[in-house]
Amino acid sequence: MRFEKYFVPETRQECFALLEQYGDKAKVLAGGTDVIQLLKSGALKPEAVIDIRKVEGISETKITDQGLALGAMVRLRELSLNEALATDYPVIMEAAGHVSSMQIRSMATIGGNVCNASPSADAVQGLILMNATAVIESAGGNREIPIAQFFTGPGKTVLKKGELLVGFTIPKPSARTGAFYEKFSIRGDTDITIVGAGASVTLAEDGTVSGAVVSLASVAPTPLRMDAVEKMLVGKKLTPELIDQAAQAASKSVAPITDQRASAGYRVEMVYVWTKSALTKALERAIA
Amino acid sequence: MNTLIGKGEKRIDAYDKVTGKGMFASDFFSRAAKMPQMRLLTSPHAHAKILRLDVSRAENMPGVIKIITSKEPGVDWDQFPKPAYLAQDRVIWAGQVIALVLAETREIAEEAIGAIEIEYEVYPHVLNYDEAMEPNPKAVVDPEYETRAAGFSDRPGDRASDRKSPNVVGAFKLNTGDVDRALKESDIVIEHNYFTGKKTANPLETATAVCEYSPDGTLTMTSNGAGVHGVIKQTLCRVLGLKQSKLRCIQPYQGGSFGSRLNPFIEVLTALMASRAKCGVACSYTRKESFTTGPSNWPCYTTVKLGAKKDGTIIANDFTLGEEIGACINNSFFSGRLSSSGVAPCYRFPNTRMDTFAVATNTVPAAEYRGLGCPETEFGIECVINELADGLGISPVEIRLKNILDPGDLNIYGEPIRSTGLKKCLQSVADAIGVDEKPVQDMGVWKKGRGCAVGGKQNTPLGRAEAKVWFNCDGTIELFTSVDEMGMGATTTMAQICANEMGVRMEDVKLTNSDTAITPYDNYSASSRATYTAGNAVIIACDDLKRKLKEEVAREFGMHPSKVEIQGTTAILKGAALESVSIPSLFKGWTPFSQNNWGLKIGSPVEGVGIFCPAPVQMWDKDGRSPRIWNWFQYSAAAIEVAVNEETGQVQVLRVASSSDTGNPINPDIIRGQTIGGVHMAIGFALNEEHLYDENGMISNANLSDYRLPTILDMPLKENVHDFINPDSLPDGPYGAKGMAESVTVPVAPAIQEAIYQAVGVRINGYPMTAERVLAAIKEKKQKEAAR
Repeated sequence: MRFEKYFVPETRQECFALLEQYGDKAKVLAGGTDVIQLLKSGALKPEAVIDIRKVEGISETKITDQGLALGAMVRLRELSLNEALATDYPVIMEAAGHVSSMQIRSMATIGGNVCNASPSADAVQGLILMNATAVIESAGGNREIPIAQFFTGPGKTVLKKGELLVGFTIPKPSARTGAFYEKFSIRGDTDITIVGAGASVTLAEDGTVSGAVVSLASVAPTPLRMDAVEKMLVGKKLTPELIDQAAQAASKSVAPITDQRASAGYRVEMVYVWTKSALTKALERAIA
Repeated sequence: MNTLIGKGEKRIDAYDKVTGKGMFASDFFSRAAKMPQMRLLTSPHAHAKILRLDVSRAENMPGVIKIITSKEPGVDWDQFPKPAYLAQDRVIWAGQVIALVLAETREIAEEAIGAIEIEYEVYPHVLNYDEAMEPNPKAVVDPEYETRAAGFSDRPGDRASDRKSPNVVGAFKLNTGDVDRALKESDIVIEHNYFTGKKTANPLETATAVCEYSPDGTLTMTSNGAGVHGVIKQTLCRVLGLKQSKLRCIQPYQGGSFGSRLNPFIEVLTALMASRAKCGVACSYTRKESFTTGPSNWPCYTTVKLGAKKDGTIIANDFTLGEEIGACINNSFFSGRLSSSGVAPCYRFPNTRMDTFAVATNTVPAAEYRGLGCPETEFGIECVINELADGLGISPVEIRLKNILDPGDLNIYGEPIRSTGLKKCLQSVADAIGVDEKPVQDMGVWKKGRGCAVGGKQNTPLGRAEAKVWFNCDGTIELFTSVDEMGMGATTTMAQICANEMGVRMEDVKLTNSDTAITPYDNYSASSRATYTAGNAVIIACDDLKRKLKEEVAREFGMHPSKVEIQGTTAILKGAALESVSIPSLFKGWTPFSQNNWGLKIGSPVEGVGIFCPAPVQMWDKDGRSPRIWNWFQYSAAAIEVAVNEETGQVQVLRVASSSDTGNPINPDIIRGQTIGGVHMAIGFALNEEHLYDENGMISNANLSDYRLPTILDMPLKENVHDFINPDSLPDGPYGAKGMAESVTVPVAPAIQEAIYQAVGVRINGYPMTAERVLAAIKEKKQKEAAR
C-alpha cells in the first residue's frame, strides 16, 4: 500500500480544492472498509488519499417534517441502530444493518457504500426503496440526482472530477407506505449478497397501490430498479396472485452473471423467491 | 495407579492461550518485522511454458537482497521434484511458485515481484478428474511424464500399461471373495457415482516460517510446520544438503494444521533463501497463497456398487475410486491408495473388489487433510447403505448393526479388528436424535429430516516417537517430547500420562516440546497417532526413569533396586530400617573438598528415555491383501436432523449427535473439543466448501469471504449438540487409548445427505451439498413428478 500524499481536510472548500487539484489521481477515503482493501491489493494506486472523516457537516443524521437528511460519513452501524428512524425509515436501518459484520459496519459509511458502487451493496437498497436523492457538491456548485441513477457500472458512478458526495435527502414517506429489503446469502450478513430484493408499497385509501418501488441487488452491473414491475402494481390491489406475477416478471427480466458466489440460473430463481417475499412483507407494513 | 487417566484435566496451554501470551509462529513473524522479508512470485496460469524470466530489473531495485529461481544450484530435489517446488520451464498449476524475492521490507519485495519480467505461452489445462482421465487428455500434468524413473511406486496392481490416462500416477487393487457371484446372489444392488469437493484446510494461522542465520552457516527455523524432527529437519537436510548439526528446528504453538502443515514447503523455500542470502528470512503465506500455493485435500470420485440380501446382509462391494491429487507429480508409495483405506474400517464386505488410483490435474497439489481421504471415500458407501436400508424397508441403524465388524473379525484386507466400539457409537447417536422417528413438520418452507451414518479411519503405523523425562532434585518432573501441538491438546495428554505414571500432580510436570536441539525424535503427529505413539513412548520413558530412581535410591541404602518402589516423590523401602524416604532429600550439594560427587546431585536431574515404534506393515499379496497394512482403527457415528428450504435449497443443521470410539479416553474434555470441532468442520465439508476456478484455472474463491467456511452460526444451539464416547480398549494403546479426531468428520456428510433425502426426497450424490445443488435436485424431482 503506497501513495505519495495523505490529506485530512476539515472544510468542504479544502476538500474540493484537493479534488480539483488531483482529479483522477486522488482517492477519497471515508470508512475505508473497501478502499483500504483496494489499496492493499494494489488494485488502486492513487497519488493522493483524501480522508474526509473530519470534513464538517457530512456526518449528521437530521430528521425534519419533510424528511431525512443523511450525511455521507454516517457510519452504517450508527444508522442501523438509530431508533429515531424506526417509525418512518425502518428499511434504511435494516438495509444498513445487513452490511457484513458489526466490525465492518462500525467503520463503513453510507456514502462509502454508495460510492463503492457495488451491485451487491445492501445499504444502497434502503436508499433506493425510500426514493433518496444524492447530494453532490463541488467548488463549481451543487447538483442532486435520484440515487438509482447514481450508478453507471460496477465501481463506477456519475461523480465527476472535483465532485464529492456529501449526503442524501430522503422524503418523508406518505401514509400507508411499507418497505422491506431481503438480503439472501448463504452465511447471513457476513456473506456478500447473492441476491437482494427490496420492495416499497404505498397504498391509496381504497387499498390499491398508488406507488411502488421494486429494487434488486447483485443481479446486474448496478443496483437495479425494476420500473416495469412497479408499473404492473400501480392502480391494482396487491393480491398474492399479483405478487406472484410481479415476482415472476422480475425474475424473467434479469440477466445476472455466474460468479464464485452463485450461478446465473440460481440468481434468477432467487429473484423470484425473494421479490415475492419482499413484496409480501412490504404490503404487511403498508397495512399495519 | 490410574488417578489421572480418564479425567478432564485442565489443558497445560490453557493460560497461555486464553491470555494471548502463548507464542505462535505468527508472533515470531510479527517480531521478525525488521528481518528481511520474503515474498513469492506465483503463476497466474494453470499450465503454461515460461518463455522468458528476467529478474535483473527487480534485482537492481534498492532494498532487494536476493532473488532465487529454479536455476539455483546445489539443491537436491529428489523427494519433492523440482517442477513442483519451484517451477522450471513450465508452471503446472495457478499459484505455483516461480521465484523467491527477499527484500528489506515486504513492500519492497512485493514491488520487486512486479518488476520481474516474465512471459508465458499458455497451454491447455485439466482442472478436474473427468478432464484429466481422458485417454488423450488436453494436458499431461507431469512435465517429466515417461522420463521420470518409476522406482518407488512400482508395486502390485500398479503397472503403467494398465493406466487409464497419462495423468494416472498411482494405483491399488484389491480382490477378496467372488464379487460377480455375490452381486448375482444379491436381492438388491445399488450403484451410484459420487464426487467430493476440493478443499483447503484453512487453519487460523497461515503457513509461516522465520529462519535465522548464524555466521557459521547454522540455520534456526521457527515455523508452524508439523514434525520438527521427522518432517522439517530431515527434509531440509536432504533437500538443501545441510549437516544435521547445522540446523535447529523449533515449533512454537501451531495455529492449526489439520494435516496441511505436514508438507514443509515454506520451510524449504525460507531455509533455501536464508542459506543463499546468508541472513535471516521471514515468510508467511497470505490467505490467498494458502489456497492457491497449497496444499488442498484430495477430493475423491467414487463408484460404489453394493449388493445385499433381503435381511440387510451386504455381500458384495464393487468399488472404484479416483483420488484427484492436483499437481502432485511425485508418484509415491501412497498415491492412489490412502483414500481407499476408507473401505476397510467399518464393515465386513466379504466379497470386495477395489480399483483405486490417483489422478493428477493442473490444480493445487493435494496433501494430508483430516481423515486422509476417508470422509470422501466413505461418503458414497454410507449413502448407498442408507439407500439399501430404504429399499429393503429396514432401519438405517439395523442394516449397519448387521454388517459392522466386531472385534476379532477380519476386514477386507484380512486384518483382524482389535478394537471397535462402533455399534455402541451408532446406537447412542441414533437414540439421541430419534433417527427412526419422523420429525414434526412445523417450519413452513423449511422441511425437516433425520439421518445417520458411521465412519472409521485407519492409523498408519509409521516411524517412531521418543520421549525423555527428568526427575529434578526438588521433585518436579520435566517431560521432553516432539509432538505437534496444533491445537488438539496432545501436549496436555502427554503431561497427563507422565504425571499419572510418575504419581505426581499435573502441575508438577513441565513439558518442553518440539525443539530439535532439546527434545527427542518424533516423526510427526499425523494419522491421529500422537496419543498412541508418543503416549507409549512417554510411558516407556517413565518406566526407565523409575528404574533409574530405584537404582539410585537402592544404592544410597545398600538395597537391591527391586525392594524400592517409587510413589511420586517418595521411595518406599521394603525390608529396610527406614520405611520410606523423600527422594529430593537424597540429592546432595556439590563440594569442592570431596571426590565423592557421584550419585544424586542437586541440579542434575535423573533422566529416563523411551522409544516406541509401531510394528511394521506387511506387503500386500497379488490380491492386495495383507494381515497388517494398517495399525488400528478409530470409529465415529453421527445422527443429524436438518431443515431444508424447499424454495432456496438451503440446508440448516438443527440437531447433531456424534459419538467416538477413542479406546479408553485419556482426557474426555479434550475429546469433547475434538468431537464438536470435528462435527463443525465436517458441516463445512458437507454443505459449502469447494474450490471454484476462473478461466485461467485460478481458484476464484481463494478468500474467506467466498470460500464459505462454517461459522459458529452454522452449528446448532448447544442444547441440540450431543457428544458421546463409547470406548473399546486398544490392547497396545497407552491405558488402552487410541487416536480419535479424524473419524469424527467421516459420518457427518452422509448423515446430512440422508437427512436431506428424508426432508425433501432428493439424494445429492456428492458434496458439498450446496443450496444450488439441493434446489436443482428438488426442481428435477418436481419436473419428473409433473411429467408422470
